[in-house]
Amino acid sequence: MTRRMQILKDILWILAIWGLVAGVLRMKMGLGATTNLSDAMPWGMWKIFNMLAGAALSTSGFMLGIIVYVFHRKQFKSLVRPAIFIAVFGYGSSLFALLFDIGLPHLFWHPVFMWNLHSFLFEVFWCVSMYFSIAALESLPVILQDRFPSIGRVIHGAVFFLVVIGATLSTLHHSSLGSLFLLTPQRLHPLWFSPMIPAQFLTSAIGGGLLFLIFVRLAYAWLHDPGLSPNAPFPTRVCCVADEKPESEKIPELPALSKLAVIAAVFLSIYLVLKVVDLIQSGSWRYLGKGDLYSWLYLIEITMAVIAPLGIVAVGAARRSKAGLTVAGLLGSLGLALNRLDVGIFGFFQDAGKIYMPSLLEWSLSLGIVAAAGIVYLFFAEHLRLFDETSEAPVITLKTIFQPPSQSWRATMGPVGARRISLIFVIMLPLAFVSLGASSGDSEGDVVKPPIALDQTRAVLKIDGDRRDVATIFEHVKHQRRLGDKQSCQVCHHIAKPDDQTTSCWQCHTKMNAKSDAFNHEKHMSWVAEEKKLDGFYPENRSCVFCHDPAGPKSAETAKSCLECHKDDMAIVKDWAYATEPDVDIRYPIPYRDAMHGLCIKCHAAKQVELGKTGMDECAHCHQQGAYVPAADEPVDVEPQVEENEAVEGSDTDSGDNP
Amino acid sequence: MSAYGILVDVTKCTGCEKCVEACTTVKKEDPKKVDTDRYNAKDGLSGRKRISILPVAEGRFARKSCLHCDEPNCAAACLVGALKKDEKTGAVLYDPKKCIGCRYCMLACTFHIPRYEWEKALPYVVKCDMCVDRQAKGDKPACVEACKYNALTFGLREDLLRKAKETISKPGSKYVQRVWGETEVGGTSLLYISDVDLSALDWPSPTTPSASKLAMPVVKATPVIGATVITSLLGINWIIKRRMKLMGGEAEEGAASDDAISHED
Repeated sequence: MTRRMQILKDILWILAIWGLVAGVLRMKMGLGATTNLSDAMPWGMWKIFNMLAGAALSTSGFMLGIIVYVFHRKQFKSLVRPAIFIAVFGYGSSLFALLFDIGLPHLFWHPVFMWNLHSFLFEVFWCVSMYFSIAALESLPVILQDRFPSIGRVIHGAVFFLVVIGATLSTLHHSSLGSLFLLTPQRLHPLWFSPMIPAQFLTSAIGGGLLFLIFVRLAYAWLHDPGLSPNAPFPTRVCCVADEKPESEKIPELPALSKLAVIAAVFLSIYLVLKVVDLIQSGSWRYLGKGDLYSWLYLIEITMAVIAPLGIVAVGAARRSKAGLTVAGLLGSLGLALNRLDVGIFGFFQDAGKIYMPSLLEWSLSLGIVAAAGIVYLFFAEHLRLFDETSEAPVITLKTIFQPPSQSWRATMGPVGARRISLIFVIMLPLAFVSLGASSGDSEGDVVKPPIALDQTRAVLKIDGDRRDVATIFEHVKHQRRLGDKQSCQVCHHIAKPDDQTTSCWQCHTKMNAKSDAFNHEKHMSWVAEEKKLDGFYPENRSCVFCHDPAGPKSAETAKSCLECHKDDMAIVKDWAYATEPDVDIRYPIPYRDAMHGLCIKCHAAKQVELGKTGMDECAHCHQQGAYVPAADEPVDVEPQVEENEAVEGSDTDSGDNP
Repeated sequence: MSAYGILVDVTKCTGCEKCVEACTTVKKEDPKKVDTDRYNAKDGLSGRKRISILPVAEGRFARKSCLHCDEPNCAAACLVGALKKDEKTGAVLYDPKKCIGCRYCMLACTFHIPRYEWEKALPYVVKCDMCVDRQAKGDKPACVEACKYNALTFGLREDLLRKAKETISKPGSKYVQRVWGETEVGGTSLLYISDVDLSALDWPSPTTPSASKLAMPVVKATPVIGATVITSLLGINWIIKRRMKLMGGEAEEGAASDDAISHED
């Protein structure tokens, strides 16, 4: 075994064990605690990356079947085995990942008995699981190695029909995987939503899947390239001498691979045409020029998945070279995977109004399953000579599996592998602990935050009356100064109780539903008049023309916006994690009304108990029949204040003016 | 269809959330947790909260809950048929005994309604069921009964539609001349009338057909496509084999047949 192969296998083992930890945690703690999925983004990495992308990359299994057994192109025969095993492990790992993704894994068999013939997902479930069984059947003779000749003979006889049925099922489910998104026209980003999405999914999967096979074949040759092996570390070299027969630099299938690339290019061209026609037809090409996340993703995806491979295939020399094919294969597969991520994840960000980033556990399980599939694939590739049919296939018995003469098992299990195993464990342990830590912090949702937060100097309060994490900034120090410094505490803190029992904002800022309510013209004018108080702060704020256009009438329209002066103190607080009101008008603090609403109702509820009254916290106590829209000159409603004052007289005052 | 529905008059809603309270009580959820759910999602719905009140304009509130579409996307999406439109009551009902938790309904819903019990180890989908259990006893849905301002009216959908149209077409009325839910995505059991625009509730334009209906031809085409693929593959195989026979290519083919995977020739 070469050093490259050994390193790859170590990485795969680490990922797989890490994934195992993640899988156990997921089953134990449930979806919500271990993933970053939410109501806004119900589908995440496991469905989109493992299932959608995994299935799309596995199309070579049925395509090679068609090419060899239906079109009778014998030069591709040597590629059938690797292709079918890609299908087996691609689909196998996808289905395995789905088992973790569905909320009730123990009920995964429900669709077998409970049918909804109108559901695309139902069709996908049936076609995928049936195709997986067929691919497994097709691979059976290779695995059995003539040990059970009768089984082998039956499958040999039926292989043509298996291929035809498999191809049909594949055509259906690859288009249906696209059809899943036909139900989301309002939610999926218009760059990716298309009535043609079934055909787009089918053609891109076929093209990309063939490119993936090319990449796998060449990558395997590279991994097995004996060029580096003399420098390989001692243990691997000793145990693997048998494997390092002087493999020729040339790959015998190279001509077949470049022909395969041409076939892939044909399908990718159809895909490109479908994409372009859709962009023009739906008019969504306009989004391409926007320069935002989506347009970039789209351009990158199309370049990687289609344009680059097509360009390479178009150049004869590149098409026939190992390097050209490798690059085309790699870019094509990555581009295909990115397309599926775009459709299933990125395309929904705009609708969800938030970004979904898979949790650590999602990453580890996702990659772990892929890595496990990779390990098994490599095991079969080495033991069954998937890529090297012409050579004498070694007969595998149980004995050879557990006591292989020359393979990785002894390297891992034997005394020389001890260091390797301990290395894997050293890497694994912290990762497992990190996974554990990442999954235990799920208490976020149950914390009720206090309505008022202060910064350390208490110069600014953030009032979040309704606790929506959108806080109104309350400039405490500035209020203090304007109202007359230290002597002014009692203006607001007249009841001086613990908690936030101060004069509510609305008692000074009167018109609470009007947009300009935060602005009190009279107060601004009086401050202008009393220059003394303002000298230190805003000496320029002295005359009408400072705000109003001297030429026009002095109205709100001719005045400058509040923000021009209050640059710093009117910004919306966004550091309380969840402050996403997309169309916040920055000119007035939007949560102002909500803040007061929260304060009013809370106080009313407390007061009605104190006063022995009922109904004070009912909406109708303040809001008359119909929605409450105060008239422009409505006086301050003093009634609650009177009640408050009455209550004050009765209640104790523990002095002190803690804001 | 003589199904029931609820008419929401946005001009009468004060936003007091008594309907939310009633729903919480009837569905036996923890009111404290339901109350904090308003901060967790943009529209306040959650795995415990089936109805929420959203501000749609200055001083105007509207309820957000399952609209019980006539052609529901969620029912078309569900692979086990756990979601179904009940012809008798008009409600779109969820059967937890069938659900496997694939969450396709959540993705497919135009209005972002179905929610998931994320914090549970074995979670289910949660959404409004128009209190069909109360309806069976002859009661109104809990939210309708709780509303003190007649913002919600329960009745047969046809009657409600007629009433809504009468209300908005009264001379001098300030209502927008549109009944939300009449034709959008094929019609919904919940109808809204309002004097402000309701696009905050994810309403598409009145002429938007339901995606499940648009996708129906694709569903129906599936067996046809399958049959076409099978026949064309068999046909191609037959033609090519025949041509090879005529050109004497059979010997070539026979040579390859002793490999592990091969075909019957």
